[in-house]
Amino acid sequence: MTMQRAAHKQEATLTRDEFALWYRADATSEPKGSFAEKAKRSVIHLFIASHLVAIAFWCVPLDSPLIPLCRDLVRPYFLWAGLFQSWDMFAPIPKGANTDIEAMLRYGDGSQKTWIFPRVEQMSLKEKLFKERYRKFADNLQRDELDELLPDAARRIARLNSSPGHPVRTVILVRRISFIVPRANGIYIAEPWDSHILLGYGVRPEDLK
Amino acid sequence: MSLRSLVKFWNEFFFAEQSPVPVALFRILYGILVIATLGLLHSDWLDWYGVDGWLSLPTALKLEPGHRLNLFTILPQSNAWVEALFWVALVSAVLLMLGLFTRINSILVFIFLTSLHQRNLYITHGGDTFLRLAGFFLIFAPAGAALSLDSLIRIRRGIESPGIQARSPWAQRMIQLQLSLLYLVTFLSKIKGAPWLQGTALFYVYHLDEFRRFPLPAWFFRPAVLKLGSWSALALEFSLGVLIWVKEFRYVLLALGLLFHLWLEYSLNIPLFQWDILTAYILFIDGDDLLDSMSGVRRHVFGRASGFPL
Repeated sequence: MTMQRAAHKQEATLTRDEFALWYRADATSEPKGSFAEKAKRSVIHLFIASHLVAIAFWCVPLDSPLIPLCRDLVRPYFLWAGLFQSWDMFAPIPKGANTDIEAMLRYGDGSQKTWIFPRVEQMSLKEKLFKERYRKFADNLQRDELDELLPDAARRIARLNSSPGHPVRTVILVRRISFIVPRANGIYIAEPWDSHILLGYGVRPEDLK
Repeated sequence: MSLRSLVKFWNEFFFAEQSPVPVALFRILYGILVIATLGLLHSDWLDWYGVDGWLSLPTALKLEPGHRLNLFTILPQSNAWVEALFWVALVSAVLLMLGLFTRINSILVFIFLTSLHQRNLYITHGGDTFLRLAGFFLIFAPAGAALSLDSLIRIRRGIESPGIQARSPWAQRMIQLQLSLLYLVTFLSKIKGAPWLQGTALFYVYHLDEFRRFPLPAWFFRPAVLKLGSWSALALEFSLGVLIWVKEFRYVLLALGLLFHLWLEYSLNIPLFQWDILTAYILFIDGDDLLDSMSGVRRHVFGRASGFPL
């Protein structure tokens, strides 16, 4: 053991002991410093208490009329500061179906093509790491309340599949779905796939610029 | 419990000074995770945030209205600026990890993460949300007080002594509380759903093709095992949300939580999610225990203690 290390170790041990003594003697008292220090501590108390209450009311899933009131109160601040949150992964009911998205494309010359939205399950392990965001985005594209995402997605698909002499004229976004059905013996048999149209979009020339 | 004892508890919990080593180590791991998040996004950066990406800025603002901290709304609308934002965010995350200009970089990293989420909320998962929230409270923490270049510079200049200076842990406590709330809210949300109470929830989860990562053994899909798994997840999430605050249970629960997240990391493809959460476990480890284990690791790896000031 070098001298330096021994000295360092002793210093660290002494410091810890001092902390322990100080802890018992003074830890719970209010600061005895200047007015500025006391004011700073008061602001911190207020900050902690208000944030704890606000975060709890924001995300605790309890049925109380008080909760929406409090959420409305803190919403402007939470949205601005990025403190909004929800913790409902696979809850209260996990997604009960495998789904994916396809795009039926019709070109100016009348030809057609099916474009498949990136599917994480068909990717290599490395690709899955980098492209997982497509899973989340595809899930959100299928949510009724997020319908407004669809025209942007249709325009993006049109751009990806167009060339100057071969522009896409129509994009039809199709959702495919296969329900997951639990059976008594625990065996899983994939259900047949159903399809339904999410959006039909007529591509404008400015969409391709 | 009297009001006086409540006040005493509050002061002790949030302000009794303690070693900043756990929060400093958290800062390093947090920086690494932000770098990893940015790295994984880089190949599709303009697809997600660019002018001609999957989601235009006007649509994003229409779907998520209101005043928000979002650099994308104040920057000129061009892909060059969007690209520049990536590199500035990356440099800031590296500096935060190293602990250089720690406070400034913790603020910058939080602003960058929040802006990314506000620009395209529809590609984020719970791990990203936790990084953002932890980043907010990290701004107020003494994250550069140890294991940092800032601390090294202060010692070299004689501004600070080489020993560990105890600090008020209130910001660290807020991150800890945020983590335990995450588990508790997840538990409360799940018990509202019949599949979790009946024990069939994991049947659905593990038959979702989009989450598959590595192959799972056939016995795992037996109804009894899935039922046990569903209920165990509920029990563990409740415990990590509430019982984690009981000192006697803490390390056992952290170990169980670690195993739980490692299993999820193996079985479900949600890159970085588990690590985003696990990183905050560091904050529940006592500073002295952390120092002892770090010294042990250093001795084991280097055969001697290094001179880096803790």
